[in-house]
Amino acid sequence: MPQPELSEEDLLQRAGRGDVRAFNQFQDAVAPRLFGLLRQMMPDGAVAEEALVDGFVQVWEHASGFDPAHGSAFTWAVTLVRQQAIERMRILGRRNRLVDAAVLEQAVLSAPAAEDLTDTRSAAVFAALKQLPKDQRRLIEIAFLKGLTGHVLSETLEQPIATVKTNICGGLFRFRDLLKGGE
Amino acid sequence: MDSHLEALAALNALGMLENDEKRALDGAIAREKDLRLLNSALEQTVAELGHLIAPVEPPADMKKRIRAKLRSRGAKTSTLSPGLLLGGLGWLLAVGLAVLSATLWQSRAKLTQQVAAASQAIAPVVGAASAEDDGNVRTLAEELKKLRDDFEAKQTALNQEVTTARASEKTAQGRITQLTAEVATLKEQSEQAAMKVLTLPASTVWEYRRGEMLVVWDRLRRQGVLMLDKMPKVESGRDYQLWIVDPQQPDPVSAGVVAVDAKGAAQIQFKPATAVNEASKFILSLEKKDGAAKREGEILISGP
Repeated sequence: MPQPELSEEDLLQRAGRGDVRAFNQFQDAVAPRLFGLLRQMMPDGAVAEEALVDGFVQVWEHASGFDPAHGSAFTWAVTLVRQQAIERMRILGRRNRLVDAAVLEQAVLSAPAAEDLTDTRSAAVFAALKQLPKDQRRLIEIAFLKGLTGHVLSETLEQPIATVKTNICGGLFRFRDLLKGGE
Repeated sequence: MDSHLEALAALNALGMLENDEKRALDGAIAREKDLRLLNSALEQTVAELGHLIAPVEPPADMKKRIRAKLRSRGAKTSTLSPGLLLGGLGWLLAVGLAVLSATLWQSRAKLTQQVAAASQAIAPVVGAASAEDDGNVRTLAEELKKLRDDFEAKQTALNQEVTTARASEKTAQGRITQLTAEVATLKEQSEQAAMKVLTLPASTVWEYRRGEMLVVWDRLRRQGVLMLDKMPKVESGRDYQLWIVDPQQPDPVSAGVVAVDAKGAAQIQFKPATAVNEASKFILSLEKKDGAAKREGEILISGP
C-alpha cells in the first residue's frame, strides 16, 4: 500500500525510533545537500565521502534526540554533520591551512534553483542573506563553507582578525533577525 | 549578556573558534542559560545556510557503507539492540496482560509495533550480513590504509624535518667556528694596532732637565710621532737624534734627526732607519750635525 509522503521531520523522528526505511528516505532527501557542503569543506572527495558516511551514522545514533520544536530536521542534520566534519578537519590538520583564492571564489551560496522555487524556506534564506552588506555576507559564506578558524580566515583573506570577527558577528546577528522576519 | 560571549557564540556557530576559545565558551554556556539559548539559536541560524548549498550527487554505495559502519559500531554500542530487547520483552509482557485486560491489549498492540519496527531495523543488517561482511572488511581495510598512509606521511615529514634540523645545526656550528676565528683575528689586530703613548722621564743632564719628551708608537705600522718641548737650543755643528732600542739588535736603530724651533719644541713623524721588531726603549741623544749612523753622543733623555 503506497505510503503518504512524509516530511523530513517525520522521517527523522521515525529513524529515531529505529525505522530503517524512514532513515533511508531521510538520507535520500538530504544527502545531496549535505554532500555538497562536505565537498566544499573538504576538497578531497574520499575524505568528504567518509565524512558523509560518518555524518549519517551520527544522525542515526542521535535521531531520537531530534525535537522538531527547535528546528527543522534538515538544519538539525546540517549542524550535526558540519560539526563532525570540522572535528575531522581538525584531526587531519586541515583547519590551519590557508585556502587558495581560486578555491575561495567557488565558496558561494547560490540562489535556489528554478525547480526549488516552491521551497519557500530556501527563498527566504537567500533573501535574508542578500540583505547583508557584501563584506559580511562574503565572510559568512566562506566561514560556513570552508570551516576555517578565525585566524586562518584572517590570513587567507589578508584582513585583520578583529575586522573578520566583527563583520561575521554583526552579519550573523543581522541574518538571524532577518530570518525571524525583522528588519 | 557579555558582548564578548555573544561574539564567541556567533563564531562558535560557524565553527570558527580556536580550542581555548571553545573551552571558555563551553564553560560559560554551562553556567548561563541565556547564553545556551543564544548559542543554540545561532547554530540554527547558521544551519539555515544549508538550504543554499548546491547539491552534489553522493557516492552510489553510500547507504551500503553507512549500514556497514552502523553494523560495526552496533557490535560495540548495541545501537539497535535496546529497541529489539525492550520490544521483545514488551511483547511477552503484553501477551500475559492481554489475558487479564482488554485495556492492556492496546499496550500489547503498541509494543508489537515496536517489535516490528525494531525487527525491520535489524532485518537489513542481518539479512545482508554476508554481503556486507565484505563491505565492512573493505571499509575497515580502507580506514586502516588511510591511517597507515597518514602515519607514513607524517613520519616522512618528521624525518625530513630532523634531517633539515641536523643540516642547519652543522651549518651553524661551522659558522660559529668561523666567527670565533674572525673574532680572535680581530682581537689580535686590535691588540697589535694599539698605540703606545710614552712620556719619557726628565733628563738627568742638568741643562736638559726641563725638557719634555713624548713618543706615540704604532706597533702595527712600526712608526711613531715624537714631541719635544722646552729643549735647549742645539749648539752649532750638533743635532738631536732619536734612537729606538730593539732587544733583538745589538745597537739602537736611528729614527732620524730632530730639529727644534726657537722655543725648543718639535713634533715629527719618524720611522726607524732599519726594521725593528720591538721598540723597548727610545733615546734622544746629542749627535754630530745631520746625525750619526751609530749612537755616539751623550744620552739626554731615554725611556721608558
